[in-house]
Amino acid sequence: MDFDPTRVAFIVVSAIAVVSAFRVVTAAKIMHAALWLGLTFLMLAGVFLLMGAEFLAAAQVLIYVGAITTIILFGIMLSEAAEVRGRGAAPLPVRRDDASLFRRIVLPALAVLAFVGVMVVVYSQVSWPDAPAGLGGDTVRMIGRALFTDFIIPFELAAVLLLIALIGAIVIAVRDNGRREQG
Amino acid sequence: MSIPLSYPLMLAAALFGIGLYGALSQRNAIRILMGIELMLNAVNINLVAFAYYLEGAAAAGQVFALFIMTVSAAEVALALAIILLLAKREKHIDIEQVNLLRW
Repeated sequence: MDFDPTRVAFIVVSAIAVVSAFRVVTAAKIMHAALWLGLTFLMLAGVFLLMGAEFLAAAQVLIYVGAITTIILFGIMLSEAAEVRGRGAAPLPVRRDDASLFRRIVLPALAVLAFVGVMVVVYSQVSWPDAPAGLGGDTVRMIGRALFTDFIIPFELAAVLLLIALIGAIVIAVRDNGRREQG
Repeated sequence: MSIPLSYPLMLAAALFGIGLYGALSQRNAIRILMGIELMLNAVNINLVAFAYYLEGAAAAGQVFALFIMTVSAAEVALALAIILLLAKREKHIDIEQVNLLRW
């Protein structure tokens, strides 16, 4: 196989992404898990960049790396529960009785193996196009035009959804403060 | 001179599997949330890959990925608000012991 910088870059970036995603699940301290999650998001921005989605790569860095990872870190630091802070042996211990072990390890592993197996079989059966069809130049302009013509209703609904989420988060926080002052 | 489409699809399947395992096997609510975020990102990879490779799908795929980002941002904000409330009230976020909405 001849040397292809794009392909090598993709393999390197996706290998880092998979390893750090694995560390998200296996890290002992939840703070480390959150930081590995940030690294995964950053690597996925690189994947988007390699697949011609510059705007999505920028949005990934802004939203996921910049906002979601930060919110999760804040959530970890603000909550007082011991297992959130990761003091001592941080992850909640899996109870050693058989039913819990089955439900927490065997069933998830079975579900993951089944899902990934089906996906790999499907992907290897279909003959995919070898070369990209090409995005036709300016993807930012293309996304903007699509957002305000074909996808105008989902776009407005997304705005309403964000407003509802904002109001909901404020309501949850304020109600809690009021309850604590009464009691 | 480019990546075969199967590479990003395999990457997305691997990330989705890891995220699914994280979401199903953990008891800590924040760790479950991280697993869900990994799964949403895997879906985004698939959408972007199909947008790049299939004819005439470019705008739709990338716009859908953008909508998924929006929804997951809203989801994380609300989920963490609820988790913080739970941590303040119950002093733990072990979802096996949370039954406030039951009966």
